[in-house]
Amino acid sequence: MKKWLSVLLVLSFMLAIAACSGGNNTNKGTNAPASNKPGNEPAQTEEGNAEGFADGKYTTPVTLTTVWGLNQNGSVFKEGETIEDNVHTRLVKERLGIDIKYNWVVTNTNDAYKTKLRLMLSSGEEMPDVVTYRGDLETVNMLIDSGQFMPVGDLVDKYANDTYKAGLDLDPTIWLPISRGADKMALPILDYAYNADHVMWVREDWLTKLNLKAPTTLAEMEAVMEAFVKSDPDGDSKANTLGLATGFKNGFANWMTDIGFIFGAHGTMPGQWNQAADGSLEHGSINPAAKAALSNLKEWLDKGYISQDSALLDETTGSELFTKGEAGIMFGPNWLPAWPFPDLLNNVPSAKYKAYPIPAGPDGKIGSAGGNPPANGYVFVNKKAKNPEAIIHYYNWFFDNMANPQPGSEFEKGFAEGYDYATLPDGSITADIAKYPDLFPGLKDQTAPPLFYTLTFEGARIPTLYAETHVKLAGGAEAVTPYEKQEFNTRLKENTDAMKVVMDQNAIRMKNYYMGPLTETMQSKNELLNKLLNETFNKIVYGQQPVDSFDTMVDNWKKSGGEQITKEVNDWYNSVK
Amino acid sequence: MESALNKPLQQETKPKQQKEKRARELFSRTWPLHLMLLPAAIITFIFAYVPMSGLIMAFQDFKPYDGIFRSKLVGLEHFRFMFEYPDSKQVIMNTLIISGLKIVFGLVVPFTFAILLNEVRKMFFKRVVQTLVYLPHFISWVILGAILTDMLGSKGIVNQLLNTLGLESVFWLGEGNWFRFTVVVSDIWQNFGFNTIVFLAALSGVNPSLYEAAEVDGATRWKQTLHITVPSMIPIAVVVGTLSLGNILNGGFDQIFNLYNALVYDKGDIIDTFVYRTAILNGQYSFGTAVGLFKSIIGLIMIVFSYRMAYKYAGYRIF
Repeated sequence: MKKWLSVLLVLSFMLAIAACSGGNNTNKGTNAPASNKPGNEPAQTEEGNAEGFADGKYTTPVTLTTVWGLNQNGSVFKEGETIEDNVHTRLVKERLGIDIKYNWVVTNTNDAYKTKLRLMLSSGEEMPDVVTYRGDLETVNMLIDSGQFMPVGDLVDKYANDTYKAGLDLDPTIWLPISRGADKMALPILDYAYNADHVMWVREDWLTKLNLKAPTTLAEMEAVMEAFVKSDPDGDSKANTLGLATGFKNGFANWMTDIGFIFGAHGTMPGQWNQAADGSLEHGSINPAAKAALSNLKEWLDKGYISQDSALLDETTGSELFTKGEAGIMFGPNWLPAWPFPDLLNNVPSAKYKAYPIPAGPDGKIGSAGGNPPANGYVFVNKKAKNPEAIIHYYNWFFDNMANPQPGSEFEKGFAEGYDYATLPDGSITADIAKYPDLFPGLKDQTAPPLFYTLTFEGARIPTLYAETHVKLAGGAEAVTPYEKQEFNTRLKENTDAMKVVMDQNAIRMKNYYMGPLTETMQSKNELLNKLLNETFNKIVYGQQPVDSFDTMVDNWKKSGGEQITKEVNDWYNSVK
Repeated sequence: MESALNKPLQQETKPKQQKEKRARELFSRTWPLHLMLLPAAIITFIFAYVPMSGLIMAFQDFKPYDGIFRSKLVGLEHFRFMFEYPDSKQVIMNTLIISGLKIVFGLVVPFTFAILLNEVRKMFFKRVVQTLVYLPHFISWVILGAILTDMLGSKGIVNQLLNTLGLESVFWLGEGNWFRFTVVVSDIWQNFGFNTIVFLAALSGVNPSLYEAAEVDGATRWKQTLHITVPSMIPIAVVVGTLSLGNILNGGFDQIFNLYNALVYDKGDIIDTFVYRTAILNGQYSFGTAVGLFKSIIGLIMIVFSYRMAYKYAGYRIF
């Protein structure tokens, strides 16, 4: 009897397992809805081509197939709506005559979208009309090399509107990562430009207290740092202050707590490929100018201008030196007042900070990493697409209507009433769903962001808009358009002023000229070479190796594959430029 | 079920026919037990054995694009690359030194600690200490790494203490030898609680009559420890040691990864961090698999070897 009982137990246990796994399957089923019918079924147009597009609309609706990974910020839907049927798809169908069909949709956690795309590629499956991808260059190259997508250069020339073209023309190198010879293989999705470019943030209250001027050269900067370290700027009678907030665990050109400017002041930029005088590309870390920068850094460490722990800190932990009120200077992007500087004001309520231009080196050279082309994703267009130009009409429409709506225009308030905004009885608009839940029917806790449902991730962004708006606002102009108002209301004055500083120094940015995939030698040698560079750089700064070991390192670097990589990089550059 | 468990399962030497018959009888009594084992066996098979087929990557020029079935076979190319790589020797040495120190002290410290704790007569105090030393085991190295970086920094609490004692500051995480020291000590601190519990369990199994007899014979507490406690702990120490030898090529990835920096590459870079940088960051999946296979094989050899040794010299078998 007992025996049977145990058997029953085991059987029910196994059944439970089976049920669980079964449950998973059904879940998957709902994630990738059963719209697997071939999307390429002829859109009911006979002449279904550009001729069908008149007055901003396809006279006979066309079908545009795609695949999609639901991202965190674009996955809030109104009750009854899905990515396949919502205010965005209906609007696009009504205004443009484009019927978007999703062949499959996954929730994009743990790179599920990327994995699924790659699986499609490796099983040789037919791609949809357009594929949007934002992420690693490896997958981008796989998509291009699959041969299923068409060059888009002609499409852009013929159909793209002026706003999109101007955004692309801002920096022609935007095409380099996706070029194959003369062919441009994907449409870049534009992002706001100059947003990662650095300024020098200085504690204004310290300058005032010690009666100093903001430094404009490295020499002046050393004098200021000397004063910051020696003259007790925080007034606690303890020698506990630093000149510059640094954290170079991740390298010597950083997205925040940057020290790349020291290299820039000598004429190079480490960890990236710079254009040499003869037009070829060279690795910035082995340029002799780096040696001079390293000896500067070593001196600064010896004199206590920078933290003894700099080599152990990354950007975030390094920035804490500034936000704790320990260091007086920090290099970073214009938006630091939004994060992490509020921490500084929490720790030191009386603190004031201000953005200044990057200081110049002994020969007047100024350089800071940045100025990379403003693309944050790509749209690939299938060779066999019936209406390859449809996606450009689509993108155009968002540039025209949503990127920077003018006062009084249709989308001035937002995408759609009851989704991302609602109008109060007094005519003002709100997005406060917690306060007015009744104005957002079918939504709970969060408003729906239809702009994030778009095939181009955020509708359309005009690259220069962010910078231009802030330069305008910094000049004292009044905020007129909805975008200007929003920026004016949500950004601190320091932020706005910093953007002006960035734009005034636009010419000093040093971009990474290598935008291709990892070359063959890079794959096998990158680690060895990076380790060599990082180790030697750090040891020189910390005095564990003499400064002259830099020259031995350069020889080693070249011998251990660096020369070969330089050749490959230049081959690539010559093939695309 | 009880009936099946309680009947002794003797092994007997009988003529072949009878033996088979017995086996059948045995099975007819115990088959529910086999059935209960089945889910565990299936899960082990699916999650531990099936993935091993992926080891084929180590002999391929694996491209995610082509998948396992279409990637090109390259034989032992990746193993050759591994042994010719200029940094390999250094990285393997670092791993052996760091994990060797960890294994030795990871045995000695809990061994001693368990004996000391066993002498404590206050049950409450014993329990509290036991729990407290076990606690760090559950903290992730991401958090511990941040705490240690802060505590051991130039203005951290440890160096402040040294300074008040009139000693020079130590660059704990930035100077190679001190880095190894920090890594080993912090690892022991984090993990000795677990082995302490294992040893305490072994101690509670010692027959009290041995101590009583020793006392009657006039043995002191120290003599009792030396001649009863320690010998009775040797087998379990051998087991713990044997199992940890399988990890000789694991220096502790999450710990090192969260603590190291470019200054200590020459003394602190271990196989796993090296593979992380080469294989994962640069997309060299085949190479990563090859190193993983190499590590597993060395680990297996070490376990078999030390197990034989343990059997020969301590007379202890696990299986």
